[in-house]
Amino acid sequence: MGTAVLTVNNLNAWYGKGKMALADFSLELAERETAGLIGLNGAGKTTFMKTLSGLLPTFRSEGILFSGKPVSPRKQAFKRCRYTVFAEDHSFPYFTFREYLSYVFSAYKKDIPDISELVQGFHFGDYTDILLKDLSTGNRKKAFLITAFALKPRLLFLDEPVNGLDFQSTEYLYQKIAGYKEHGTVLFSSHILESITLTCDRVFVLENGKIRQTFEHGQMNAADIREALCYENDI
Amino acid sequence: MKMTFKAFAKNLFGAKYERLQRSIFFCLIVFWGLHITDWKIQIAPFIRYLMLSTLTAGVMWQTLCTEENAARMQNMLMLPFDNRNFVYSYVAALGAYTIFTKTIILFVVLLSVSDWKPIEIGGSAVCAINAILMTAAIYSLKKYWYVCIPWAVTVVAGILLFGNTAWMLPPLIVSSIFAAIHLQRTDGYIFCSQKERKNYRVKQHRHFAVWRYLFRYLGCHKNYLMNTAVMWCVALILPYFLGKMENLFVVPIGFAILSINTPVCILLSCDPDFEQAVRFLPGQKKAFCIPYCLFIFVCNMIANAIFLCGWRNSITALMIVTAVFFALQSAILSVLLEWFFPIRDWKTESDLWHHPRKYIVPAIMLLIAAAIQI
Repeated sequence: MGTAVLTVNNLNAWYGKGKMALADFSLELAERETAGLIGLNGAGKTTFMKTLSGLLPTFRSEGILFSGKPVSPRKQAFKRCRYTVFAEDHSFPYFTFREYLSYVFSAYKKDIPDISELVQGFHFGDYTDILLKDLSTGNRKKAFLITAFALKPRLLFLDEPVNGLDFQSTEYLYQKIAGYKEHGTVLFSSHILESITLTCDRVFVLENGKIRQTFEHGQMNAADIREALCYENDI
Repeated sequence: MKMTFKAFAKNLFGAKYERLQRSIFFCLIVFWGLHITDWKIQIAPFIRYLMLSTLTAGVMWQTLCTEENAARMQNMLMLPFDNRNFVYSYVAALGAYTIFTKTIILFVVLLSVSDWKPIEIGGSAVCAINAILMTAAIYSLKKYWYVCIPWAVTVVAGILLFGNTAWMLPPLIVSSIFAAIHLQRTDGYIFCSQKERKNYRVKQHRHFAVWRYLFRYLGCHKNYLMNTAVMWCVALILPYFLGKMENLFVVPIGFAILSINTPVCILLSCDPDFEQAVRFLPGQKKAFCIPYCLFIFVCNMIANAIFLCGWRNSITALMIVTAVFFALQSAILSVLLEWFFPIRDWKTESDLWHHPRKYIVPAIMLLIAAAIQI
């Protein structure tokens, strides 16, 4: 494993009294790696992404380090280095995709690159000037994915990115995830084992808010992960 | 029917009906507080009935129009439901929510500040129930809205003409029965209004503008625009009332009252996904909050300008400076409230519009106005 880009030590996150979502969660992501997060519903995948996106204020940790330096998920410096595509996102309904893209790039203080390849790859050409609220679930997801891959942050979090996408776009997404190493690190959660085995260098199996098992590149196959998931959850 | 009602009611009141308990507790405090002040005013019974009916009908309409209802009802409508039970349960749950969280507050205030006969309390209950049933029936007849005009006019005329006597009750009861019979035949799907999705391109803009976003939002929410327009109408007639108070610098009071423009001050609270996205992106205090603040400032400033145009006495430079100060100050306070204390856990749009938070900014502005007078 290369140099650590993100280190999370003993992260605890909760939603209400006694509603612990992550308990002593520790993880280390290497520079330019593709990592998968897998686990049953309620295991804590989305909570982890929300916490790192600065949306969950109720958390405590022994340290979140970005490139070896302590960071807070809510601080601007860290925000500018990461972007998250949420599993469900109905935000900015009254912007078109182009306007949203321009808004995000302005927030990250970057110039908009040529996105024609991404737009073509996701078959999104006909929807760039339609308000996001008027797009279907899959097309809205594509809008956020294109923004993420165009932005090329050092840390990219994708929460169930495959959900809602058509077959062609899913294949294209796999390509983009696998090729993201050129720009940075991707951590993505999924319930589809194929998406993990096709793209990831490492897979974290999450159970009850903790990482129970890690599969490295060589040892990764769908049968092993399936077995781990079934075993951990007594299925 | 009981199960369907429970499903809707728990959604609105909370799993243990905690919203109902909170509302009743709040009403008891209001009643006790007003009762011990022994402050009494004379209000004719027909005015009270009209106030209660209008508020109930307005809130019920707003609740029926809430877009979130469609998502909540989707699964229920998919099931092989009994149409009559479904419609009655839905209207009963929404009606109970309207009466026990909104109408009851006005009723308690009226009860504590004016004298009532027992029959008038019964009359108020009939008014509220009729308003609920009638609004639901009219909502289902939206396409044929012109048919509903004579109905609404008859009810209002009945209250105006016979509101001070018991003769008001028969027309209201007949109206309620008519509405209930109509609802029996109403298709449940009518209450599940799907969001309109237009697959057409808007004018191409390569760059974003927060203002354009806000204008589009208001354009798609006509009731928000309407409320703002009503506020500007208030600005037009307010000088007439305040102008009578001579020897006082009452202009700031007018500006303070005009800062109570709810809809434009809840644009983050009303869209939780948007709020989440704004918080998630870097640099939003500057990128979003400043344009939003200027947007509210312009809305307030238009109201203040209308107010000044209606002012009969001469307008001084000090008044203009005061108008700008009040518009800007209330805009800043509104945005700070939205950023640091957004309204969460609301169930219907009406909860947002009538949240007590809306009075904080005008209250502060009134205090500033009072301070200026001193």
